[in-house]
Amino acid sequence: MNAIIFSAGWGIIMMFCSFLVKNQSSYRHIAAVGLLVLLAANIFDTYGVDFFHIDSGKMLAYTRFGFVFNSIAIASTLIYVLLTGRDIERLGRYTAEFFTLVFFVLCGVCLLSAYNNLLMLFLGIEILTIPLYILTGSDKRNLKSNEAALKYFLMGSFSTGLMLMGIALMYGGTGTFLLESSRLQSNLYHGISFLEIVGLLFLLASMCFKVSAAPFHFWTPDVYDGAPSVVTSFMATIVKVAGFIAFLKLCTVRMSVTSTAIDWKLIFSIIIILTLLFGNITAIFQQSVKRMLAYSSISQAGFMLFALFSMNEYASKGLLMYSVAYCLATIGLFAVLVKMKDVTFEGYNGLAKTQPVLAATNAIFLFSLAGIPLTAGFLAKYYMLASIIKTGTYTWVVVAGVLFAAISVYYYFRVIQAMYFKNGEPQMESFGRSFKLGLVVLAAIIIIVGAFPQALFNWLYF
Amino acid sequence: MTATEILFWFLSALALFSALMVLVSKNPVHSVLWLIVVFFSISGHYILLNAQFLAIVNLIVYAGAIMVLFLFVIMLMNLNNSTEPQKNSLVKLAGVVAGCLLLTVFVSAVRSAQEIKDSQALMNTGDIGLIENLGKVLFRDYVIPFELSSILFLSAMVGAVVIGKKE
Repeated sequence: MNAIIFSAGWGIIMMFCSFLVKNQSSYRHIAAVGLLVLLAANIFDTYGVDFFHIDSGKMLAYTRFGFVFNSIAIASTLIYVLLTGRDIERLGRYTAEFFTLVFFVLCGVCLLSAYNNLLMLFLGIEILTIPLYILTGSDKRNLKSNEAALKYFLMGSFSTGLMLMGIALMYGGTGTFLLESSRLQSNLYHGISFLEIVGLLFLLASMCFKVSAAPFHFWTPDVYDGAPSVVTSFMATIVKVAGFIAFLKLCTVRMSVTSTAIDWKLIFSIIIILTLLFGNITAIFQQSVKRMLAYSSISQAGFMLFALFSMNEYASKGLLMYSVAYCLATIGLFAVLVKMKDVTFEGYNGLAKTQPVLAATNAIFLFSLAGIPLTAGFLAKYYMLASIIKTGTYTWVVVAGVLFAAISVYYYFRVIQAMYFKNGEPQMESFGRSFKLGLVVLAAIIIIVGAFPQALFNWLYF
Repeated sequence: MTATEILFWFLSALALFSALMVLVSKNPVHSVLWLIVVFFSISGHYILLNAQFLAIVNLIVYAGAIMVLFLFVIMLMNLNNSTEPQKNSLVKLAGVVAGCLLLTVFVSAVRSAQEIKDSQALMNTGDIGLIENLGKVLFRDYVIPFELSSILFLSAMVGAVVIGKKE
């Protein structure tokens, strides 16, 4: 509860800052302090120190996994704000409101990691996405940004409608909104209601939309490309991973008990293959790095779907690892991308000569996304593949996963090739030494987590 | 057949008919007017279920506020036949097939759901839809979602200001 209340509270503080604090550049410092407070509050919560004793009446169920994920999300946001804070200021006159919405999104993230009631799932998803519609359109004078916001809003509300319909049907099938309850168990004992299955299918479609899994991914490239780069960085990482955490809980609780009536594994394996196929094949043909990253986020979503397929201990550990590896690497890549004047592959030509530190850290982020050993991304992919092997069935999904991972190396390495082996004069915005330092720290975290994964997993137990 | 049943069948037929008319009407303003009829007939169903508060809220919010917004949008966009997008027949066919498949799923869901056949909605006797019970449930069992939804509305308000304000 700490994290939920603190994030909502600090969001309101940021709103007040927008007219009480005149100095534009102090907003990001206030936001960074807020995120630190939030992180501390969440860590207190992890170890049982709850500042607010609120009986949620089974609406929320806290787990260590959820707390650890909250910490990862908050820490990633902190890194995001520290790295790209200056670029957020350049977005327009509403810097404080931008941070307000970021805090509200975090509130949604904390709800999604702890929900135990379909109503809370709905609220969490909505608190997560409504600020994003606004952030997507925050570059008001840019037509592409407007188009992206409208597209995202219309399709997003349609998928929310599907979700509500699904929840209503599931309520009809089981008579309860609770994810886990004794009533549900006894109802299931009498036979699984068809309404429950149809409801779950609706929910599956809507959640697949939110995490941009094929065949519900068509909004992703346009929205990620049209939105201002700083916003894309946020919504392609923390928000997407939070969607997966919610999805995983739904799968492990509701879908696993209905697996006698419907073959979820088959459905998920089809979704996985389609997502990997669409994401990877289209990413190859992109000329803009930003658009390539949008497609790559679809293909990374395909790998995260592995966790929903297998639903075992490896899967939840793997998803945690994936969220660290994917969030940090993508935030780093976007932090550099925001500074570039030209975001096509040509724009990166010769970066290694003019900015060796940026090029080297960028290369490490790309290694991590591609899954090269010694980076966190390798272990993340390893855990995902291992989780499916543990289930003992559908080995062809693993084979396809490995093949598509190999394909993804091609388009990630095109950026490295442009940076190191081509000549050119990349045009960049100005940045300070602290920015470089931040990137180096980020790259170091990725390598440390990749080399010592126990540093992360120990958190789940101690 | 009691009066309640006659009302039920009448309202159901009206709701289905006007929902079809929403889709079939060529003129968008007529569609909106038919949609208002749909909302009225659904509100009638709520009253049959003894949920007066829900019926009134449904009318005020949907038939009142949202429909006015719809009408404004339609008038502002000045829609007519020439602006209607031309879809090719393949897309139309795909839409029909997909819609029919969804209908099949729903019909089979309702047919095979045993619990629906056995039980009947409480008509005229249940007091679950009364405002007193609603308030009790909302502020006792569902107080946390109720409070949290304020964050949702707050972010929507912030968004309205950010997007709507002149720079």
